[in-house]
Amino acid sequence: MGLLAGKRVFSIMALCMMVGLLLLPIVVALPSLAIGEEAPAGDAAKKDGDKVEKGRDVYYKTEGIVVGAPAPKTVDGPRDYPRYNFESRVLLWFANQQHLYYGSFVLAVPIFCMIIEFMGVVTKDKALAKRYDQLAYDFIKISLTAYSLTAILGGILIFTFLTLYPAFFSYLSGIFRPVMHIYALMFVAESGTLYIYYYGWDKMKEGFLKWIHLSMSVILNIIGTLLMFLANSWIGFMMSPAGVDEQGRYLGNIWHVIHTALWNPLNLHRILGNMAFGGGVVAAYAAYKFLASKTDEDRAHYDWMGYIAMALGVAFLIPLPFAGYWLMREVYAYRQQMGITLMGGLLAWLFIIQATMIGILFLSTNYYLWQAMGRMRGAEKYQRYIKYLVFILACGYMVFITPHTMVMTPAELKAMGGQQHPVLGNYGVMSAKNGGINVIITTTVLSFVWYMRGNKVSTVSWAKFGNIFMGIFFGAAYFNIIFLAIYGYYIPANVRVGLSVPQVATTLSCLFFMFALNSVMMKGAKQLGPIEWGKISARSQYALIMLATAFTWMMGLMGYIRSSVRLFWHVNEIMRDNSPWAYTHTVGFAANMISFNVLFFWITILFVFWLGSLGAKKVPVESKAGIPGGVPQPAASH
Amino acid sequence: MKALMSLGALIGVAGLLLLGGMVLDVVPSTYIRLVEGYMPIQMLLEVACYVIGFTGLSYTLNAMGMAIPRFWQGIGFWVFFLLYLKYRMYPPIPFSVRAMYGTVSLVAVFMWVSASEEDWQKFKQPIMNVLDAQTGGNRILRYLYLVLLPILIGGFSFNAMMPKSEEPIELRTVHPAPPASTKVHGKTYTLQTSQNPYRVNPEGKYDQEFSNANIVEQGMGRLMKPNANPWDDKNQGYLKYVREGGEIFFQNCHFCHGDNLNGRGLHAFAFNPIPANFTDPGTIAQLQETFIFWRVSKGGIGLPNEGFPWASVMPPWEQHLTVDEIWKVVLFEYWHTGYYPRTWD
Repeated sequence: MGLLAGKRVFSIMALCMMVGLLLLPIVVALPSLAIGEEAPAGDAAKKDGDKVEKGRDVYYKTEGIVVGAPAPKTVDGPRDYPRYNFESRVLLWFANQQHLYYGSFVLAVPIFCMIIEFMGVVTKDKALAKRYDQLAYDFIKISLTAYSLTAILGGILIFTFLTLYPAFFSYLSGIFRPVMHIYALMFVAESGTLYIYYYGWDKMKEGFLKWIHLSMSVILNIIGTLLMFLANSWIGFMMSPAGVDEQGRYLGNIWHVIHTALWNPLNLHRILGNMAFGGGVVAAYAAYKFLASKTDEDRAHYDWMGYIAMALGVAFLIPLPFAGYWLMREVYAYRQQMGITLMGGLLAWLFIIQATMIGILFLSTNYYLWQAMGRMRGAEKYQRYIKYLVFILACGYMVFITPHTMVMTPAELKAMGGQQHPVLGNYGVMSAKNGGINVIITTTVLSFVWYMRGNKVSTVSWAKFGNIFMGIFFGAAYFNIIFLAIYGYYIPANVRVGLSVPQVATTLSCLFFMFALNSVMMKGAKQLGPIEWGKISARSQYALIMLATAFTWMMGLMGYIRSSVRLFWHVNEIMRDNSPWAYTHTVGFAANMISFNVLFFWITILFVFWLGSLGAKKVPVESKAGIPGGVPQPAASH
Repeated sequence: MKALMSLGALIGVAGLLLLGGMVLDVVPSTYIRLVEGYMPIQMLLEVACYVIGFTGLSYTLNAMGMAIPRFWQGIGFWVFFLLYLKYRMYPPIPFSVRAMYGTVSLVAVFMWVSASEEDWQKFKQPIMNVLDAQTGGNRILRYLYLVLLPILIGGFSFNAMMPKSEEPIELRTVHPAPPASTKVHGKTYTLQTSQNPYRVNPEGKYDQEFSNANIVEQGMGRLMKPNANPWDDKNQGYLKYVREGGEIFFQNCHFCHGDNLNGRGLHAFAFNPIPANFTDPGTIAQLQETFIFWRVSKGGIGLPNEGFPWASVMPPWEQHLTVDEIWKVVLFEYWHTGYYPRTWD
């Protein structure tokens, strides 16, 4: 009893400490949130009111007292752009991308842990609860090693900035000075919380203490998310600066600097993207372990792990295109020029590659689910309809990847009779593409529904009616999506943009209503056979690896697109890039560079996984008894 | 069910015969017309009909004891789709897009034939038979592949590497990003916020809803709305400006852009690419009016770097027209095509 009370006290203290760590940066910053040079300027204002210089915010259009230096007008030379005998921009690109990969991974995995740990806590099946708990623990263990690498890569990134772009970094850190140390302290808070969360796992594994432990994961994720928001504010500022005047002088309002036009869309897009990416990486890890497994028990465990990671990743992948759509809409609203450069101009082909990658993600997911149906008896009844799903997916995919700016020889251009093809010209614009992607996502939802009911037969009295209703619902959804895609050509552009809302609503209705209806219909359903975990084709695991690789590649690509849309600006329309590398790379070079980054990340993450497996080998045999790998059941769980 | 499948089989056979005729140039690809304005959805529906037809055909042949092996079904469908893109679609699709569609259809065929273990085994069987070479025929095939495959790959490589005298591929940007602002006749216009001064309601205020209500109908007919005829002398305001814009268009622009604004004017085919087709939903319908104002004012020589290779001979119309005339001609283009200029509110 005393021991338990002691543990409780310890847990509550740990939780309080975490809350304290969370509040630490805010408390430290309280005396003056926007420090910088505001105070002296304010004093000066008191002394001599006439000499106060005011500036107009480039975005918010508000007036403010100038408290910062103007953006430096750099010149190509060793003072502003010192260099090695190599393209500085490529070095920075590499350092930045690797830091981002690891940063995304270590931010995503704790969110996974939180979800999986929560599932373990609420599930009534004790064996399953234990499996979830072990899975969450395995995840956080991997993330711990990756966390160190993230910090190291962050250091390398800062050194790269300081060494190769000192003028730019000095300006940016000057603008963000009021929150620079908050950012650093957030890291301290994140590290502290993570270590307490990890090392306190065994001490707080049951009852009330488990809830405290779960609360810690919530705090950990709040800190992580705030950290990411702060980091996002820098790139938001570089793309769509605010809080400064036309010369780039800080006007004393740090919230304006952070809360730029693109900050919120970037935040949402990155949270979802990180989660989908994290799911993909863990699924690939499980796939690799599955393929290398020598026993049925291991195969069962890693098959299950891959499925859970894939399902979580895809759950965040489904809304990701909609978040991306919002981001692009805001980009267009901020600067039409930027939007056209991205979607219709210089970078349009990169967006076609992006669409291709998104398609690969959804196709891989569907393929995995169809393969997964092979491990449950009774799912055969759906197999013969898969060819129609393939057809619908392929049609949606082809429309989705059709370029607006086509690659062709002058002879082909002449044969086509102009730049605008009567078929491809229609597929190449947003209205059709919205239809294409929504068809793909709706089909993915349908595949999920089939998977969830694969080995079951509903026993509810209204099962027939329910099935017919579902069929009609999906049919109506496809009709509505396609109808709106066509209707979009006949209405003003601003209304057309708004049509994406009913299209998305249709897709999400399928997701939520059909999942809910299916769950109700399958409650107490007759089982045709168990899910035979581990008895899945090797092809399915390659699909998971494909999924993860496509995620990684797409992240690299989107980062490059987002960054290069600034063209020859360090900070859009404020600070010009006068280095010799202020030009846009060719598509081929960018693709090679992204591939190199992807390859490097996967090599290093394999190292991280290997380190994790070293730790696992040291676990004594007797303590392994409860590890879920040995329990290929429960079969009924999805 | 059987009757339905037989009907499907009939459609499949008819479709295959038609496509075969088009490939052999016996049947022109325009025999079944692609209807302008409906082509995109027509193409998808046609392919869907083929899929239904092939399903029926497969079912019927199966029932007759002449089932086509899954391997040949997969290969056959892929080849069909490539031929469809090449010989059915007109105007011809550039190779780059056909390659993309071909790859997607190949992936789709793979997904179909390997979706279940049973199907995958069926698909693999002929390949495995040749590799195992248990029969004399398969042994001969294996030796043939051993010789033919390297020759084939070598041939492809040789063909790819061989210098050709074709014109190089151009990655031309259709809509280069406009500048943030443009200076025409000494006045600076911010493209994000400027408005067409002639898009006005009877009170003389900027009103896009009013002008949208008075443009022609979209589609093939392009009929005028009742009481919205710009050439009626009684009409004032917006419609009068459209008429003036039309006069300027027919005096200056229609020689290239055509009297239907579809880029097929008198001189159009002297240029490659031919002038922009404003009736296509991918041109002015996608853009703000200020974008068109900038492009018309600055012409081909005013294209930014990213517009390389600047394949546009459009003159900088600011040298020939006043600002008011340019705005009016832009107004007319939207009126005539029935499109609405892009806005962000």
